Amino acid sequence: MLAVGGLTLTLPPGADRRFAAEAVDLAVGANEIVCIVGESGSGKSLTAHAVMGLLPHGVAATAGKILFEGEDLLKLPSVAMRRRRGRDIAMIFQDPMAALNPVMPVGRQIAEQILAHEAMPDGKLRKRVAGLLEQMGLADAANLARAYPHQLSGGQRQRVMIAMALSLGPKLLIADEPTTALDVTTQAQILKLIRRLQAERRMSVLFITHDIGLVAELGDRVVVMRHGKVVEQGPARALLEAPSHPYTRELIAAIPRGQAVPPPPDGAPLMQASGLCKRYRRAGFFAPRGETALDDVALVLNRGETLGIVGESGSGKSTLARCIVRLLDPDAGRIIFDGQELGRLKGRALRDTRRRIQMVFQDPYSSLNPRHRVGAILTAGPRAHGEGAAEAQARAAEMIQLVGLPPEALARFAHEFSGGQRQRIGLARALMLKPDLLIADEPLSALDMTVQAQMLALLDDVRRKMNLAMLFITHDMRVAAQICHRVMVMRRGRVVESGPTRALFEAPRDDYTRALLAAIPGRVSLPS
Amino acid sequence: MSFLRAFFARPQTLAGFCIFSAIAIIALAAPLLFPRGPFTIVGMPLLPPGASGFAAGSDVLGRDMAAELAFGARISLLVGIASTIVSIGAGGVLGAVAGYHGGLVDDLLMRVTEFFQIIPSFVLVMVLVAFLQPSLASTVLGIALITWPQVARVVRGEFLALRQREFVAAARMQGLGAGRIIFGEILPNALGPIIVIATMVVGNAILTESALSFLGLGDPNLMSWGSMVGGSRSSMWVAWWTMVLPGLCIMVTVLALNFIGDGLNDALNPRRGR
Repeated sequence: MLAVGGLTLTLPPGADRRFAAEAVDLAVGANEIVCIVGESGSGKSLTAHAVMGLLPHGVAATAGKILFEGEDLLKLPSVAMRRRRGRDIAMIFQDPMAALNPVMPVGRQIAEQILAHEAMPDGKLRKRVAGLLEQMGLADAANLARAYPHQLSGGQRQRVMIAMALSLGPKLLIADEPTTALDVTTQAQILKLIRRLQAERRMSVLFITHDIGLVAELGDRVVVMRHGKVVEQGPARALLEAPSHPYTRELIAAIPRGQAVPPPPDGAPLMQASGLCKRYRRAGFFAPRGETALDDVALVLNRGETLGIVGESGSGKSTLARCIVRLLDPDAGRIIFDGQELGRLKGRALRDTRRRIQMVFQDPYSSLNPRHRVGAILTAGPRAHGEGAAEAQARAAEMIQLVGLPPEALARFAHEFSGGQRQRIGLARALMLKPDLLIADEPLSALDMTVQAQMLALLDDVRRKMNLAMLFITHDMRVAAQICHRVMVMRRGRVVESGPTRALFEAPRDDYTRALLAAIPGRVSLPS
Repeated sequence: MSFLRAFFARPQTLAGFCIFSAIAIIALAAPLLFPRGPFTIVGMPLLPPGASGFAAGSDVLGRDMAAELAFGARISLLVGIASTIVSIGAGGVLGAVAGYHGGLVDDLLMRVTEFFQIIPSFVLVMVLVAFLQPSLASTVLGIALITWPQVARVVRGEFLALRQREFVAAARMQGLGAGRIIFGEILPNALGPIIVIATMVVGNAILTESALSFLGLGDPNLMSWGSMVGGSRSSMWVAWWTMVLPGLCIMVTVLALNFIGDGLNDALNPRRGR
């Protein structure tokens, strides 16, 4: 069906390397799912975009060919390419919110795609759109077609995108990380949907992902890419069981497997929260009553212990973290930290206590001030607490090494670092204040798998060295199992279940916990 | 380096920068170039441009137009830059505070801002300057008073977006105070739009000063482009250059500033195309 041979994509001069992809060979047969696995910068996404003829400005295919049904797409004039695009080859993207037009009902957007290729009377068109949405497993398709993208959930939006991509019955579907922005349970549903549609329609799928764990769920064949080159390819099962290239082995080793975490140490309670409630109100007279983000949440955290808070987006886990660090004030409930009630603290006492609770943020790109040097970022906190400049500098140099970066890093700006290095800087910033409690709010979700594994190891190492209590917030059960002594599962602002990690994995009591566990891609082994 | 390259990427930015630099140099060097000053009568009245010794001609009183233009540039640029500094300072601080704190503070400050925005601005300056006696200081103050609301709006918008970023939350957790976060953490990230709006305010201020001087509300002891246009009303039919030349100076300066503003906007935008 699709055969890419010797494809070389050249980046514009001034980029950090010359080629986005170098002599890439890969093939997708009819009725087959091929996964391209690679980390950021591996060229996997650009390779897929080249097939679609959608290379960004400045990037050009300088060698090789892309044969689709025997025709070289690179030589196709743009009019002919446009006819193929959408009808024969369709694509779905990582972020359906960005890929959908926010001011147009989703049904119209699907119809638009159909009309671009064939004329059709209104009634028939509407029926066809509704039919497509139903095939995507969306209930009440007629109403849904009239909805705007922001009124849909992430999973629904991605289903709409898939409906749009499949509206003309393409022979090849390119899926560019279509589940990365979704929750684990939604991800499992979308993967199932793609598999079902592929089988029903007997189409070919080129699936791009950074998560080699998904490959076991989905792929017939796998192509592993790194730094623009194909390092290994072959049948999925064989490749996963006996990877021949060291990089593939590294990728597989990076899948969090939920090792046996030792039972929680018997520390004294450091923080206790009870009856926490938080509602978000919308402004305006006629606004609905708002959303409940936290509903009677209680938790206990002991010294030296890692508590995992697991939940999907909208479960209230980030709100909980922000209430604990008092970036938000809860509507009700109390948080006792080391014998003091946090909500009552003011002025100096609040500053002193706040110093002892530090946070590592989710987004490595927005959490570091782009205008400050790393050294200034690290020392700002201690300096604000009255530490001398020289002393703060010396500790910053120490701390940056503790998180695995060279001391020269202090003189550089945040944008000179990769996502993983930035998260290390964020961790160093938190540790500079000598906290007792470290809150990590999805610190891995923006990172590549191998980098995630390193960061996870670092967090655990630091926690042990500094005897921190850690609140680890994640949507990924696999990660929680790797590092947490205890896990608390949240859903829609409520605590669904909590307990020691191993017990919770072996014998989940709640249906929702079971659903979360079942959604883990690759079915990693449970801790034993 | 990459900033300079991006800044000068478009030819009109380079042109704007060169023109503005030339005007600024002439303005600074005016006392050296024309030691007799702009008010001295040095020859026959209404000599056309190009007459011997009068590159730009002479006006109705026989004063050297070139000297008038050079000294006029001093006042026009001085008023433009001084009122922009006041305007950016006041509007910037109010906008930053409103944007960072939000809620009631934001509501209050924005109502005040809107109050100034709904008053016909030129009438306000005229009344204020007439009330305070026409002088350089009252002109600067008046212009700052009508231009700060747009600065406040832009800065507030930037702050509203930037305060959501996680590095601001991180700064709060590090124990930094509100002032330190506003000026040390957020403001450096908002500098791009502020610089751009500053170039527009300078142009606006020069135009407003010209209009005031045209109406005779400028400082009578100072020569400015606006007062030259105003003073030439009676002679424009017999000596076109007395009105056209200062008008052209105003137009070219404002245009150059707008080009510089556009160039800065592109160069400071981090998502600029490479």
